[in-house]
Amino acid sequence: MSELAIRRGAAPALAVEGLAYTYPRAPRAALADVSLEIAPGEFVLLAGRSASGKSTLLKAACGLVPHFHGGEIEGNVTVASLDAIESGPGELAAVVGYVAQDPETQVVSTTVAAEIELPLEMRGDAPASRARAVEEVALALAIPHLLDRTVDTLSGGELQRVALAAALVTRPSLVLLDEPTSQLDPVAGDELIWLLRRLNEEWGVAVLLAEHRLERCLAAADRVIAMDSGRITFDGAPAEFLAWSHASDPALTTPAARLFSLAGIAPLPVGVRAARQSLATQGRRSDTGDLTPSERLVLLGHEGKRRQPAALHPSKLREEGVRSPAAAPALEARGMWVELLRGEKPRDVLRGVDLRIKRGERVALMGRNGAGKSTLLKTAAGLVEAVRGKIETPGGIALLTQNPSDYLVRERVGDELPGEAGLAALRVVGLEHAVDADPRDLSGGERQRLALAIALAGQMEGEGLPGLVALDEPTRGMDRTRKDDLVALIGDLAGRGAGVVVATHDVEFASEFAERVVLLGDGVVIADGPAADVLSGGWYFATEVARVLDLPGVITPEQGAAALLGEGEGAG
Amino acid sequence: MRSPFAYTPRPGPLQAASPGAAVAYLGALAAVAFLYSSPLVLVAAGVAAALAGRLAGARSAVRSAIRLGLAIAVPIVLVNALVVNRGETVLARLGDWPLLGQVDVTAEALVDGAVFGLRAVVVMIAFAVYSACVDPDRVLRALWPLAGRSALTATLVSRLVPVAAADAARLRDAARLRGPGAAEAGRAPLARRLLAGSLDRAVDVAATLELRGYSLESPRQPRRRRMAEGLWGRGDPKPFRRASRFDPRFYAVAALILCVAIAGKLLGADDFHAYPTIQLSFGPATVAVSAVLVLSGLVPWRRAPKRVPAPTPRSRPDVPRGPGAAPRPQDLDAALQPGSGTHPPLGASGV
Repeated sequence: MSELAIRRGAAPALAVEGLAYTYPRAPRAALADVSLEIAPGEFVLLAGRSASGKSTLLKAACGLVPHFHGGEIEGNVTVASLDAIESGPGELAAVVGYVAQDPETQVVSTTVAAEIELPLEMRGDAPASRARAVEEVALALAIPHLLDRTVDTLSGGELQRVALAAALVTRPSLVLLDEPTSQLDPVAGDELIWLLRRLNEEWGVAVLLAEHRLERCLAAADRVIAMDSGRITFDGAPAEFLAWSHASDPALTTPAARLFSLAGIAPLPVGVRAARQSLATQGRRSDTGDLTPSERLVLLGHEGKRRQPAALHPSKLREEGVRSPAAAPALEARGMWVELLRGEKPRDVLRGVDLRIKRGERVALMGRNGAGKSTLLKTAAGLVEAVRGKIETPGGIALLTQNPSDYLVRERVGDELPGEAGLAALRVVGLEHAVDADPRDLSGGERQRLALAIALAGQMEGEGLPGLVALDEPTRGMDRTRKDDLVALIGDLAGRGAGVVVATHDVEFASEFAERVVLLGDGVVIADGPAADVLSGGWYFATEVARVLDLPGVITPEQGAAALLGEGEGAG
Repeated sequence: MRSPFAYTPRPGPLQAASPGAAVAYLGALAAVAFLYSSPLVLVAAGVAAALAGRLAGARSAVRSAIRLGLAIAVPIVLVNALVVNRGETVLARLGDWPLLGQVDVTAEALVDGAVFGLRAVVVMIAFAVYSACVDPDRVLRALWPLAGRSALTATLVSRLVPVAAADAARLRDAARLRGPGAAEAGRAPLARRLLAGSLDRAVDVAATLELRGYSLESPRQPRRRRMAEGLWGRGDPKPFRRASRFDPRFYAVAALILCVAIAGKLLGADDFHAYPTIQLSFGPATVAVSAVLVLSGLVPWRRAPKRVPAPTPRSRPDVPRGPGAAPRPQDLDAALQPGSGTHPPLGASGV
């Protein structure tokens, strides 16, 4: 973004000075000595692992901390010349908008128009100016067609846009977003980020965006602030951030940056476009531009690797032994149709699905919001009935739904999982040491594993497992470290002989754990094949590395680096 | 899954009407159900409410209301038959029952119970149409000047109740997915978990409200003006459409229903007595009131917009034409008619 748009020198959109904050009854501070300034019109990305203080900083900037949450606070927070510690969130609402992770908790009205109008009505604006403001913000966010809809009929992406519209309708100078894409599919997530960028450029709104999936939004940012343990550990341009994270905190690096780093190419790219330009400038692929992907692969000497992505994959954990063609089926669906009520009318959510998953196989189930992924898993688990066709799970199924907390209804882990069967399940997920703990005291990842143990308990023969273990959107709000733990757990479950199917929107995560990807589109299987093929064959459902290199079968930084190094050797 | 009674925005006159107009119309139909005991009039009021719902697109709400109303009506009939011993036409003597004493089932008590049940069905249908067609946000905001905090609380409850129902469904699913070796979820732990989840969600929603400015002082407009805007639909343009061109129609029909109902009552249109023997008349006043009621059900009907035909060359008025003007189609048609003896002048069109 240009200096003109960012308006450096003007009164900052957000100024934080020496901020320290501790939640009530918390043993340690959530924020410690945080100082920063955000210029009007600046787009700033807030990076950091889980519990690093990102959300707390956003809440301090909009007044929820300390006014809503209580606790002890020191330092100064100024938003557009308003003291955020003195003023409450209501007064700050005129100058700052806030969008949280879960759009479901951010809507309070029945219809979209009423929801967007609410802040203006609270402020006492006249009806005519309210109507105009609602119309304009709806046009800006491309949702005028939603104005008359009720909020309970909206998809996650639509709901998130409505929440954004309600945050922007007062024309704030600063908008704060806390992982707004974590529940969205790649298409809706990308749309939201570029919508923010457009609003930032056209309206001059300063944006402070907290995200885990940095590859999605780094290219849109003017600046990155990294946090760890409540402190700012980095503050600078995106390119500098990549160099810093590569050296100091590799968990925050993007796949494209890891690709360049492994291939020994500098500087590290901030996005797909920069990466492609950098490669073209360095002549890495200039002579392959007119060739088909297969021809490029042959030219680069990687034809043989295309069918063996696992050979290049450091996180492919288990041997092929349990996945021989003769392996027992874990799931078999034949011509399966599922009908659900949507609004007043029934709708076919799954349409003639044929699917076979073997024991020991690791499968990613992908597709847009509403494509039928969760319904497929629920049908397999017997929660939903197929109206036509069949679905069977011969060895049984353990399904972990999207909210692991739904499984935790008691106040002691041992009470959730009594006896030897319970202990065996806890051992499988590595939580046998937490028998006496209160589930609420466990970390997010541990709670997820406990919920999985509850689903597995009593279905294991000896150290065996149910034929199929299914996880529905397990990575929402997870940082890279927790995702790596989950990849290891999935590998372990598959290694013990269970087929593992994971419904996910996270293509980078899918590339890490899956050997096969099934892509659903409007209830139909539209792609089914090796992960390396499916995740390199598109734009939205493709990894960042695949989008940079556009080489069939190359989806991870390691594979990409091998391809680039091979090219370099070939050229040499 | 959405409740059939949940509000669904549709492009109909009833949905477009201001809350005051819609409530007046549907309230008038419900009022008739309380004013009258004549089965014919009650059936007419029920038909009117059902017709209004159907024309407003709330077919499933009407269907569900009839089912629910019948489910309520049947016990009313049975209880009335057992509890009330009045009436001369004894159908069955059931002897002495504890607490109830001698129980005689009479035809009059059954019919009287059926009238009560019918009344319940009519009110249920009218309420179902209201629920499915009138935007609750607009109703509550209309009441805002009277009790802003209570109105917002009611809004939140109306929003959070279906969310809590969805949470409960999710918890039930999770309970079914527990492995056989896990402790059974049990009703009490599930209820506790649902309550805890609802409280967490309520905290999130409260935070959202704070961010929307709920803690600010009340809006500054004069109360009377805001009441008028919200309830009667004055002065608020799209997208909230509080003003509707259909409002006068609903107010007029509501007034007509009430006037006719009161006049009919005075003229003996409600000539029904269950006891001691059933007296039911279908006099001209009863038939007239019923006919007006049934016709009132057509109020939400919206005539398809007239399509104004595009002006064709044939319908254009003749205008002076210069010598080099192209021939008009009607000139060509006339010239090419067999036996017309004329042809368009060559070269006149310049083609």
